[in-house]
Amino acid sequence: MIEILRAGLCDMVMDFGRPGRGALGVPAGGAADRQALAAANRLVGNDEGAAGLEITLAGPRLRFPQGGVVALTGACFAARRSSGAAVAWNETLMLAAGEILALEHAVAGCRGWLAVRGGIAVPRVMGSRSTFLPSGMGGYAGRALQTGDLLRCGRAAKETHLLRATPPAETGNGLRVVAGPQINQFDDDGLKAFFGSAYRVGLASDRRGLRLSGAPVTHHETALSSQGVLPGSIQIPPDGQPIILGWDGPVTGGYPVIAGVITADMSRLAQLRPNDTIRFVTIEIEAARALAAKSWEIRELA
Amino acid sequence: MGKRTTGQLAAPASWHWIGERGLQVATGAATLARYEHLLKKKLPDIEDIIPTDNSILLILRRAAPVSPGVSAALSEPLEKEIDGARGTLHDFVVDYGGRAGPDLPALAKRARMSVAEYIDCHSAAEYSVAFLGFQPGFPYLRGLPTALHAPRRASPRQRVASGSVAIGEAYTGIYPDDGPGGWHIIGRTTAVLFDPLREAPALLMPGDRVRFVPA
Repeated sequence: MIEILRAGLCDMVMDFGRPGRGALGVPAGGAADRQALAAANRLVGNDEGAAGLEITLAGPRLRFPQGGVVALTGACFAARRSSGAAVAWNETLMLAAGEILALEHAVAGCRGWLAVRGGIAVPRVMGSRSTFLPSGMGGYAGRALQTGDLLRCGRAAKETHLLRATPPAETGNGLRVVAGPQINQFDDDGLKAFFGSAYRVGLASDRRGLRLSGAPVTHHETALSSQGVLPGSIQIPPDGQPIILGWDGPVTGGYPVIAGVITADMSRLAQLRPNDTIRFVTIEIEAARALAAKSWEIRELA
Repeated sequence: MGKRTTGQLAAPASWHWIGERGLQVATGAATLARYEHLLKKKLPDIEDIIPTDNSILLILRRAAPVSPGVSAALSEPLEKEIDGARGTLHDFVVDYGGRAGPDLPALAKRARMSVAEYIDCHSAAEYSVAFLGFQPGFPYLRGLPTALHAPRRASPRQRVASGSVAIGEAYTGIYPDDGPGGWHIIGRTTAVLFDPLREAPALLMPGDRVRFVPA
């Protein structure tokens, strides 16, 4: 059991989402960094895809009446425990009965994941426990957590060990992309702007999409019938300001797609916050495939 | 600049990568038939199949080149042509105009019709569901009379009410959820287009037929 003493900015129950329902207009959704949630789950002895919490920019204050085994991955938040013990990231944490874990603001980055032994036991909706705010489905009552909510936990798959996780080494600069299907619809100035200048992440960004502002990416052709799109697809609407589709973004879009964020950098995308600036770097698709295979390492805590 | 042909095998089907997991295949008029063909194959390396009007997006489970199985499923001849309008017929009662359809007068004017003529024209046509997208359960309905085609609004609304019947380019559609939207709103229906707790969450499926009945 977890008691929400004070809700954060947007705390949502997330697992690996509900892939395979795009034809109904339903995006896969789920944790913005699957690997970070998977690692947190492994640290507490859960199956990789158990439901945890995705916390964004400002975290919640949580009480564990019966204690619990938890782990935090992703963005580091200013945090403290009522026991006075340190709050380490990427490690198994044992909380005593009645202990309070207070997560404040994100020190760097945007999103963190909290796994709890047994996983968060909200009902599955369309095969997943992930919250999908646009339709108000899944998660805890289809919404972000509120102060006073009580989360029940399930049973863990494996024994508890004290473990430490190491994320894959950061490589490359900027946000790496592969060329998109409509790259030929952009003129030289547009391509120069997109690949040569910095873009700022707008305030209206969320899990549906990151709205960028900067040098306009000009088209010589804007006409396009709707096409299927996926998280990381970078659309250019008529005003030339790029939109990077997020995890809860639409499954179809009518704007030309200039490029797609590579799988390995989707975790970097999850950590962008409003007012950050980014640059796009294009790489070959084979290089992107090789980078996608890198994963977290989990070891016994010495 | 990445070479867009990188990693593509020679095959009759034409495709483009969208990221390293998205494979966009031009399928034209055979989209629904190819979609059903792909569904039947139950290919293990495919996570999702998203049909639209003229193309299909395959989302691969892993960032990998196109497997021989996927390549074959995309180029195999189709057993039968599928008529795009052979599904269940749904009638939607629509409250046209007024607060339910604030853009109706402007659209009627654009089409050089009276509001009554516009409503007659929109409700006389039979539509077919081309595909679902934008929001869960949002139908892109094919068959809008040419006179009613209209570009999307210059600036999207922050909030469109669920059940709103709308016009966007060559399509008419219905918003299942409250949310932002850039199409012109001409009326509203009380039908529930998407309910995740229903056995079939989306009321409409590609190929279904739709008629609008003025309230």
